[in-house]
Amino acid sequence: MLEYRLPYQDGLGFTNILLTALGGDGANMAAKLLFKIAVEALNLDGGYDAKYGSEKTGTPTDVSIRLCLYGTPVRESGPTRRPHMLSVFRETLVLTQNLVAGLQADATVMVNTTKGPSEIRELLRLPSGKILTLDATRIATETQSRLNMPMLAVLAHQLGFPGEIVKEAIGKQWPRAKEANLAAFEMAVGRARSERFEPHPEYPLVEPARVSSPVGYANMLNGGAIDAFSNISIPERGAPPLGRVPVFAAEHCSHCGLCLVPCPDPGAIVYCKGCMQCV
Amino acid sequence: MLDQQTIISSGNEAAAHAIIDIGYDGEGYYPITPSSEVGEYVNRAYAQGEIDLSFVVGTSELAAISTVAGMAIAGGRAVDVTSSQGLLLKAEELPALAGLGLPVVLNLATRDVNAPLNIKNGHSDLAATLGWGWVTLCAPTVQAVYDLNIIALKIAEAVNLPALVAYDGFHTSHANRRIKVFTDRRAVREFIGPEPPRRLSLLDVKHPHTFGPYMNDDLINTKVLIDQKMEKALKLLPRIFEEYAQLSGRRYQFLEVYGAPDAQVALFILNSAAEASKVAVDRLRQEGRSVKLVSPTVLRPWPADTILQTLFSVDRILVAERVSQYGANNYLANEVGAVLQRSADHNLILSRTYGIGGLNFYPEDAEYLFRLALNFPNVPDHEKRWKGYYQAWAGDRDARPVAKTAPISSAEVTRNAGKDRVDLRELADMPHRIEKHSACPGCGLFSNLEMFLRGIDGQVVFFFNTGCGMLVTTGFPSTSFRVPYFHNLFHNATSTATGAIEMYQRLRRQGKMDDEITFIVVTGDGGDDIGMDQVIGAALRNDPMIVLEYDNKGYMNTGGQLCYTGLLGQRFTNANVGPKQKGKLQHHKDIVEILRGTHAPYLFQAAESNFRDLLMKARKAQKMVREGDFVFGRFFSPCPLNWGSDPRMGFRIVDKFAPVTEAIQQEVDRRWRRLVEMDANPAL
Repeated sequence: MLEYRLPYQDGLGFTNILLTALGGDGANMAAKLLFKIAVEALNLDGGYDAKYGSEKTGTPTDVSIRLCLYGTPVRESGPTRRPHMLSVFRETLVLTQNLVAGLQADATVMVNTTKGPSEIRELLRLPSGKILTLDATRIATETQSRLNMPMLAVLAHQLGFPGEIVKEAIGKQWPRAKEANLAAFEMAVGRARSERFEPHPEYPLVEPARVSSPVGYANMLNGGAIDAFSNISIPERGAPPLGRVPVFAAEHCSHCGLCLVPCPDPGAIVYCKGCMQCV
Repeated sequence: MLDQQTIISSGNEAAAHAIIDIGYDGEGYYPITPSSEVGEYVNRAYAQGEIDLSFVVGTSELAAISTVAGMAIAGGRAVDVTSSQGLLLKAEELPALAGLGLPVVLNLATRDVNAPLNIKNGHSDLAATLGWGWVTLCAPTVQAVYDLNIIALKIAEAVNLPALVAYDGFHTSHANRRIKVFTDRRAVREFIGPEPPRRLSLLDVKHPHTFGPYMNDDLINTKVLIDQKMEKALKLLPRIFEEYAQLSGRRYQFLEVYGAPDAQVALFILNSAAEASKVAVDRLRQEGRSVKLVSPTVLRPWPADTILQTLFSVDRILVAERVSQYGANNYLANEVGAVLQRSADHNLILSRTYGIGGLNFYPEDAEYLFRLALNFPNVPDHEKRWKGYYQAWAGDRDARPVAKTAPISSAEVTRNAGKDRVDLRELADMPHRIEKHSACPGCGLFSNLEMFLRGIDGQVVFFFNTGCGMLVTTGFPSTSFRVPYFHNLFHNATSTATGAIEMYQRLRRQGKMDDEITFIVVTGDGGDDIGMDQVIGAALRNDPMIVLEYDNKGYMNTGGQLCYTGLLGQRFTNANVGPKQKGKLQHHKDIVEILRGTHAPYLFQAAESNFRDLLMKARKAQKMVREGDFVFGRFFSPCPLNWGSDPRMGFRIVDKFAPVTEAIQQEVDRRWRRLVEMDANPAL
């Protein structure tokens, strides 16, 4: 077995890693592979848990890996609430999810974005630590790999996993996409921009969020019913969750209405998921 | 000790690994989250030819466990897996299996039983089984899921009772851990016994027996037998645990106790939460607090004497349960209390409900509960109660909802009435009855449904079966429905609609209801496997509703398991392709032909690829239902997620479908020739 040092250890001896992504990004597979490498090649122990529900393609999801030395009792279940390392597969998640909650001091944060580390620090309100940014979407497209590959590469690199072992595992896991994946892997490590940030009074550490919401047992309708008038999900203009969206050019529209025929999303002119059936 | 190897496994995989190592003769299966994967892993091994077992996918949970009963009465070793309402659908059969003395094993990946629907953890399914005569083992870790599955069959066959292995849905079922399994399956087989102990078999034609007779006054004696078997299990289990410890190095006991033996305060808690609580015990003991954790591995038979010995000198016991018995103290709190009334001390027992609906339970949570017990009654006012909820919240009482939408008037959505031809542009302007949802890009369900709804005038009330359709539209506290909607669990929508229609018609007769309403039931093809009888019932009664089935050829909400609508050779997560199995073994179910036998007035099939046809069928459907008739329509509906297709192909797949195999084409041609003959001969 190789000599390996965990990059972080909490009071119980764990490095806590959280991957936050959208359903379909492959975060689960990436985490599973890293955990496998940790156990089989580095003789570590720990756990790999996901925030399970019934996530569909394009809805936010979390996966967590906790690593410890073999022999340390592994007792917690569920995703970590106090990550040392955070991998963010979509820039939109920085804006929409409360990612800083529970994040430890001197954290390592990896974000798929075209923005630079200091911009992300401000958006994320990172208390302290290192931010790595990379345009993983572009790398995945250029190499015809998947988004999870560049993200996995940077995370494995930051964990200090030996590159050769990781690459071998990737090749074994996805033999048919080996070339593309390895190209993405190499490109990601080379292209990531990194910057370290000292603690800042404006960005304090934030406790993990407790599950709570404005609707509780004191004001819930009988039987948990939902009032359609006040709780309707109305399409709002926003960034497309996945990939590309068609642009509507009003001046070229002949008002045939045919584009609406296959459209699965009401109000898609405003909010489109980018299935591209209409073009 | 025997040779073992390290593997990475989830709880579900561990259960499957044990099932494979044991070498069961059969598994009855029906998917339900979070236990579905167990059967998927077993089927994968079967398809690869690694194991030889009968793997039967039922039309429902009840069908699956009944198949297991059949396997067991024929002398086979049989196993099943379930969760939550799946367990309750089996409930008719489960106490019967104990009464019949059939030693089968059921894995229960626990999930709360509920409506509004939540698919995550809770122990209300487990609590429901406590009086059903099943030996019940609790597995707090992934490792224990493997070990206790092996032990469960051994004890079940030793006493001729069914056995249940309960582990936490998601927290354990989907947790991936490093575990140890036996290197050689034969060792497991040796431990269990290569063949089941001799018992009466239905297949013994040389000495026939009548099983499941009708019984009058004698029945009470069968109950005595079950209790005697439980007593026997209580005696045998320590020996089996010891024997297993010799083989594996892992020792199980009636109770897992962790902390100070003479502790003044104990937390009594089940499964994965008990593991997290050990961290809290360590922290509190470092502070000098006298605490311990008590977690039963064996729930049935209830190890009362061991519990008494462990708890009788403890001043305060907090029994935390992932379930609530409403209007009464919780289940295990009552049982612990009943044991402790035998102690001379007056132990204080607090009861708390936690973690329902999958709320995570971390060491901090255990620490809170320990401190609550330590400090009681010097605790905040809202905690000064014997029974209470931990992790629930009141909400913002001052929040005032703001209306974001208004009701849709009948006039706005009346675009078809009285017109032979309609303009697509005019229909495109029709207000949406269903707003933004979180379905996958390219999902066929909403394209079909949206187009269909363009052809439906006036007020609509929806009933949805459980499936993607309800899940992606009604995540509390938001809804995609601008019109009334009711999801009443799994396969019950047609019967539920019948009830509502009866009340609607009554109000109309009484002159109390002005609005004309079209009632629409939406179901996946899976809903019409498990709910076939209810659809047939509504059709036979000719209840005026439109039932729409979005047929995506599988149980796509739960991970792509086999539906009877699937095509010959189609690969499913529980019908794999390998040397021994080539995906689904039969041709696709033809639900329209099944319903033809009900002589329902209007049955149709449609697809988004042919929207004009779909629109015309919608208009005809509404005309029929307004005349008081039952309508059933089936949509062919792409599922890019589980078909692995490009979302943009969407309706084009339906339109210009890929070439099908010759076997499927022949079957389709055969069915088509039959339809042509029927068309040519109206008497048919």
